[in-house]
Amino acid sequence: MSAASGTLAREGRVVLALGRRSLTIQFRKAQLLMPTFILPLMLLAVIASGTSAAQGLRGFPDVASYVAFIVPGTIIQGTILAGLTAGIALASDIEFGFFDRLLAAPVNRVSLVLGRLAATIGLALLQSTFFLLVAMPFGARYSGGVDGAILAIAIAAITAAGIGGIAAAIALRTGSLSLLQSLFPFMFVLLFTAPAFFPRELLNPILRDVAAYNPLTYVVEAVRGLLSGTSVGDPLTGFAAATGLALVTTGLAVLALRERLRTQ
Amino acid sequence: MSGPVVRARPPLLPVVGVLWRRSLNEVLRVRGALLPATIAPVVFMLGITGQFGRLTGLDGFPTDSYISWIVPLSCLQAAGFAGAATGANLARDIEQGWFDRLLVAPVPRPLLVAGPILGAVTRCLVPTTVVLLVGLALGAELPGGLLGLLALYVAASAFCACAGLWGVAMAAAFRTQQAGPLMQQGVFLAVFLSTAYTPEVLLRGWLAGAADINPTTHVLEMARQATVSGIEPSLAHTVPGVLALAGMTVVLGALALLGLRRMGR
Repeated sequence: MSAASGTLAREGRVVLALGRRSLTIQFRKAQLLMPTFILPLMLLAVIASGTSAAQGLRGFPDVASYVAFIVPGTIIQGTILAGLTAGIALASDIEFGFFDRLLAAPVNRVSLVLGRLAATIGLALLQSTFFLLVAMPFGARYSGGVDGAILAIAIAAITAAGIGGIAAAIALRTGSLSLLQSLFPFMFVLLFTAPAFFPRELLNPILRDVAAYNPLTYVVEAVRGLLSGTSVGDPLTGFAAATGLALVTTGLAVLALRERLRTQ
Repeated sequence: MSGPVVRARPPLLPVVGVLWRRSLNEVLRVRGALLPATIAPVVFMLGITGQFGRLTGLDGFPTDSYISWIVPLSCLQAAGFAGAATGANLARDIEQGWFDRLLVAPVPRPLLVAGPILGAVTRCLVPTTVVLLVGLALGAELPGGLLGLLALYVAASAFCACAGLWGVAMAAAFRTQQAGPLMQQGVFLAVFLSTAYTPEVLLRGWLAGAADINPTTHVLEMARQATVSGIEPSLAHTVPGVLALAGMTVVLGALALLGLRRMGR
């Protein structure tokens, strides 16, 4: 084994260990997980029942299951909350000094960011699977089959890493737990400027124009297309949007870490 | 020979006033403290309107302006979360030991939470007004005029007080800030298990039943007199709203008092 591959393997283990630590902490503190698992489901239940009459609108696509049409919005909401949770946990580590101890460890510092995002991916995988399963007894049917569902979950997990990257960059730049905790409404702008719960054609005209520039638009449409087995969204475009978001925001988080180290 | 000991009763109103002032200072002395509580309902209002605005095209929708429909909902949501924050702040005071000191003061326990709840009601006027102004700027209508606005503000303020009592009950029961999500989700459920997105005739399934028995539905209808229905001479939307608020105040107030009575015993 060459020195480079040895280093890569060691950093991989660091990323996994940090990811496992983050996930363990989250699952040991139920109050941290409750909003990420319960809130999107509550919104799903209310929207599915409160707006199902929308299927009678002219221009609304012919869908076999209205709940299944809404679920992609719930999944994307979950990815936003999972990403935000990563930022909050990182800010907490910074405020309470644990992150300083990590900085003293003989590991590549990029791994510290990647470890946090690995946990976000893990959380999003669990979350999205949970949402898809819970929606089934309430009438959700996924004509795209198991393959479609797995691909949809994978795209959601990459998106969560992208959102986690934004939150991590802000946490590293500011180190403020209270700031991260108050980011919740601002992150939801991303959700509401995408066709999360309604078809893009039926959104408010201004919102429709804005949606074209929101990467989550392509993600949510891809997830909807994969789950329904229709051409509502292009999976490749959705995958590219999610991956692009994740790469850019992870880069921003790494830059924020470097800046933090430079000014410390 | 000495006469019977006469204990001086501490003046009660100043106690409420001081605690009211203290709860206001928590936002007045922290720069930007009101910002998230104000921006969140505005973001939700804009988002929901953008997503579901076309629902006004359905038969039975009582207005063709969806933002008019959503403004009262967002006002109640903002007021409710301001009220629930009372519980979170009380839980913090309990955890940090400050509330134990208040408990030994020679004042009735309900007064110890009356000030913070009044503080929340005062604070909720800021997001409520901002939501209303943004809504009006974006085309919300005001068929209810000044009386309608009064109904909206009374509904929001009283709903904030109810949410405050719920928060106090939860804080007294759990005595930890970790109960914060429970306080907020109580408000979330109360607001959204109602005619939040569509009128009752368009609700389907279990939500129609839930909205029917949820008292917040009547509070919302009372608030919607400002921007949707206008004040009806029969007070058909006012009286049920006032009764619902009175009922919630009695039930949640009793829960809060029960929790406070158990504290320190």
